[in-house]
Amino acid sequence: MFIIPKEKEVPLGCITPAPVTEQTMMITGNWREYRPVIDQEKCNLCMNCVVYCPDACWQLNEAEDEVVWNAKYCKGCLICANECTTEALSKVYELDFEDGVVRLEKPF
Amino acid sequence: MAKEMELSGCAASAQAARMAKVEVICSYPIRPYTALMMELAKMVANGELDAEFVYGEGEHAQLSVVAGASAAGARVLTGSSGVGVTYAFETYSPIAGGRLPVQMMIADRALDPPGDFGSEHTDAMSCRDQGWLMGWAENPQEAFDNSLINYRIGEDHRVLLPQYVCQDGYFVSHIPGKVVLPEQSQVDEFLPPYTLPHPLDPKHPVSHGPQIRPDQGTVMDLQRAQAMLDAPAVIQEAIGDFNRIFGRNYSPFVEEYMTDDAEMAFFIMGAHTMTARHAVKHLRSQGVKIGLVKLRFLRPWPTQEVAEALSKFRAVGVVETSTSYGGAMRGGNLLHEVRASLYDVPQRPLTTSFMAGLGGEMVPLKEFYYMAEVLAKMIKDGKASKTVYWVGFEAEA
Repeated sequence: MFIIPKEKEVPLGCITPAPVTEQTMMITGNWREYRPVIDQEKCNLCMNCVVYCPDACWQLNEAEDEVVWNAKYCKGCLICANECTTEALSKVYELDFEDGVVRLEKPF
Repeated sequence: MAKEMELSGCAASAQAARMAKVEVICSYPIRPYTALMMELAKMVANGELDAEFVYGEGEHAQLSVVAGASAAGARVLTGSSGVGVTYAFETYSPIAGGRLPVQMMIADRALDPPGDFGSEHTDAMSCRDQGWLMGWAENPQEAFDNSLINYRIGEDHRVLLPQYVCQDGYFVSHIPGKVVLPEQSQVDEFLPPYTLPHPLDPKHPVSHGPQIRPDQGTVMDLQRAQAMLDAPAVIQEAIGDFNRIFGRNYSPFVEEYMTDDAEMAFFIMGAHTMTARHAVKHLRSQGVKIGLVKLRFLRPWPTQEVAEALSKFRAVGVVETSTSYGGAMRGGNLLHEVRASLYDVPQRPLTTSFMAGLGGEMVPLKEFYYMAEVLAKMIKDGKASKTVYWVGFEAEA
């Protein structure tokens, strides 16, 4: 028999309830080297960024009628910029921002 | 009424899948296992089997498709041979780690050295430590039975592990043998419907295979190891029920043949066991005190049962149909585990191994007679001078 300490417990097969809200166990925003920056004037709300983002970091704010970026989890893969139909998204070096994260300062 | 048919191992496995009512099948051609998919495709086309039949674009895709289907709550089947088995290697650990009871039929085939198509156990043996249940069938009947038995064990919530259900290519997969097909009601009694504790379900969304932290890795490994430790009790139970419902006489882990008062024995698994039996019978008629022990489950390895079965002999010859280049025994894989099983036994038999049947060669009777001579000499000398004999290639007789 083995004893698994309470704080180390993992569900069977690591099958977990799907995170309907943001999880707090692994913040991935500090992995970024580049940041996608949106020009709301050019955006036609085609929703490509929302659909293509592998980490659901673009969401539609229906009240404001614009897409909103999630800095906390965006890894900077720039798939959104690649899929943008109106060139509303551009890539900007992360350290050009005042709040720019230092990449891999703390991996997890 | 149960009915008797002449079926190849592949056709027998297809019949087992039909009677187990598999729901998703994914195929990709490579001989010799392909005949399984040919049979299943016919069954689906003829309306005898109500299953999704998906054509994978390769073995990696095959395993990925059935993993997804298994996670969604479907009983699944896929299969492969030789380099097809190794092409899908990446998928084996996550399927076992995700605790998806996928069943994969392997009709084994030599890995390319280059371009061999004969039977050899090395393809499946290369995948043995990923957390899959695993064992070989000696004939089409056992191939049929093992398929049902493995679904039952693998899907048991105390185990939840995938299964390699192996048979020797050609020798089992393509040579027809007598197969008793049971009544559907018998199969239904033995094999309950498949359920997964946390299936993919839009009403209750779950994540399968998420990224985990390094400190969670050990715990997941431990869970998988524990499932393997828990499996033997479930195997015992399943074999007991199988024998009762289908009127068979299987031992769960090792089967013995003519071992009463035997001084020496062959330790073997798979198709060549049939020839070995004939050799033992013949040698017995000449007064040689020899027997045979057949391994039915390679994973979980039945350490205790192997030790108990083999410790009553003075010499044991392990017949290897796989390679472990540069391994401790300098030959195949089985002797490593046989010797490890015997380490704590006070009265250990002398052990050695025989490389035979590699690349799909037959293992004829005369090779078993040669092995028996080596074992007799070991007993006479009181020691095993070598750990491996390449049968037919040894300079000294």
